[in-house]
Amino acid sequence: MTRTTVLIAFVVGILFLAVNAVYIVDERQKGLVLQFGQVKSVKEEPGLAFKIPFIQNVVRYDDRIQSLDTQPLEVTPLDDRRLVVDAFARYRISDVVQFRQAVGAGGLSQAEARLGRILNDETRTVLGSVSSNTILSADRVSLMNQIRDAAIIQARAIGLEVVDVRIKRADLPEGNLEATFQRMQAEREREARDERARGEEAAQRVRAQADRTSVELVSEAQRDSDIARGEADAQRNAIFAEAFGRDPEFFAFYRSLRAYEESLKGENSTLVISPDSEFFDYLKADTGRVE
Amino acid sequence: MPYSNNSGGPWGGGGGNKGGGDDGRGPWGGGQNGGGNRGGNNGQGGPNKPVPDIDDIVRKGQEQLKVLMGGRGGGGGGGGGATPEGLGRGGLVIGALALAGLWVFASFYTVKPEEQSVELFLGSFSSVGEPGLNFAPWPVVTKEILAVTRENSEMIGVGRGDGGLMLTGDENIIDIDFEVVWNISDPARYLFNLADPQETIQAVSESAMREVIGRSELAPILNRDRGVIAEEVEGLIQQTLDTYDSGVRIVRLNFDKADPPQEVIEAFLDVQRAEQDRNTLQNRADAYANQILAEARGRSAELLEQAEAYRAQVVNEATGEASRFVAVFNEYTKAEEVTRKRLYLETMERVLGNVDKIIIDEGATGGGGGQGVVPYLPLNELRRSGEANQ
Repeated sequence: MTRTTVLIAFVVGILFLAVNAVYIVDERQKGLVLQFGQVKSVKEEPGLAFKIPFIQNVVRYDDRIQSLDTQPLEVTPLDDRRLVVDAFARYRISDVVQFRQAVGAGGLSQAEARLGRILNDETRTVLGSVSSNTILSADRVSLMNQIRDAAIIQARAIGLEVVDVRIKRADLPEGNLEATFQRMQAEREREARDERARGEEAAQRVRAQADRTSVELVSEAQRDSDIARGEADAQRNAIFAEAFGRDPEFFAFYRSLRAYEESLKGENSTLVISPDSEFFDYLKADTGRVE
Repeated sequence: MPYSNNSGGPWGGGGGNKGGGDDGRGPWGGGQNGGGNRGGNNGQGGPNKPVPDIDDIVRKGQEQLKVLMGGRGGGGGGGGGATPEGLGRGGLVIGALALAGLWVFASFYTVKPEEQSVELFLGSFSSVGEPGLNFAPWPVVTKEILAVTRENSEMIGVGRGDGGLMLTGDENIIDIDFEVVWNISDPARYLFNLADPQETIQAVSESAMREVIGRSELAPILNRDRGVIAEEVEGLIQQTLDTYDSGVRIVRLNFDKADPPQEVIEAFLDVQRAEQDRNTLQNRADAYANQILAEARGRSAELLEQAEAYRAQVVNEATGEASRFVAVFNEYTKAEEVTRKRLYLETMERVLGNVDKIIIDEGATGGGGGQGVVPYLPLNELRRSGEANQ
């Protein structure tokens, strides 16, 4: 062993001691200095600090906000309708000493279990004292605050500060889902039927109105046309009366002649006449003159 | 967190000091962190968070020193041929230079444009490093680099037990999937205040969405209020995260799905079909009405026109006939007897010219009243012979 080696060994030893006498607490942590298991001091602020080497050791706790998600919990509100509620909490370690005393060496996982129980209790208590409609409404916020406030007080005993409690889910239990689905389905069916029936109703109304209007239109036209025909007949009569009234006797003669001509037209008319007819006056007159 | 992933202490490899820094970060810093992680005296500190531990650093430093001074043959310092015992001047200088080089290498680091770094002076927060080259003298100052502008997204409601089913205020169930996009607004707060930011954002988002859905009714959510709901939920998430001092900014919230649950979707679709059916029925009825009314209008017009035609016909005929009579009558008044005779004869001429005629002279039948003959005339025979003659 040369002097140099001894020197180096000495320096290293001093360094080792010095290093053991200081410790650093990170921004995210709080430190607890223990001396044979006894709490000697608490280091809340981050940075460098000193301790007695080897005799004291440092335990660090996370100072950040931790999350806790509870298992779904069935609660029975006042109106006896069951709801499945799932809450979560945000918390941080506020009092390291109390925390250490409360959970021992179990650390966060044990604290979490205890906080979970507190949370479940409070959730049951608070939500059990209101009706389910309140939970499913804008009042949920105030319920969450109630749970939080109660949890804050209880959690203080284990050195935790509850930052926030929120209800994540508030749902119907699995068994009630089917019934709800059926109700929703029935509501939709009602809506669909109503929709179709209204369609039918409107269609029928439109058809009936059309039929009615159609009949009205045609009958009005029929009426007007009959009126027109009557007027025409009257006009005809007036014209005839005016014309034929000038000499009824001549009219009878003239009209008779025309009637003979019209009615005796055709091939199959046979006329048996006597030569005494006026027409034959000259046929028999040998003088060529009718007496 | 990249922070805790960096447990690969380059100290372990004797010659890997320089090569070990291939992740772009100071290998010394990394080793420091890793050492903290594995710190034996930290067992009770709950979840093992990365902590720079002076004890470890020093222990490692000592090992390194030994390597530099004694294990030259291992190729650690990259020195020459000095023997372990005879530590020459040159060896010392080279060793010092190497140490200095390593220190510089460990103390400078780069921050990319999308990143920011957080520097801790002996564990307590000192400053935020902007993009570029930054200096954090090891081991007093340590740093964390965070991708602050990167958008992270959390999908909520997808692929879980309940498949995103939520209860609405009117006790209907709706299936909602949505995405929350966030980034880091304050790296220091982000780093120091939340133990599990991602899980927190998910839980808070779901809670906020369920809260808002729980006080809304089903129909407006399905139809038009999605934008309003998204805004409200986003605000609520941000507000809650702000109470945690989380340093997280919610960039936006996307609705991927807001539908009735699978079990009842058929019924909802049927309502839509029913609306269509209603329209169809009404349209068909309208079509029928249009057709019927058009036919009725046509029929009306036809009837009226026919009547007008009749009127015109009758009046015209009457007028014509009357005029004819009047004309004849006017002539007749001028020479009544002659005209009368002439009309008679002309008519008889036409009439008798066209018919079969049998002229029976009553006198020629011989005596007492020719009328007795008429009943015995074989009228049918006469006609037949008449036809034959033609």
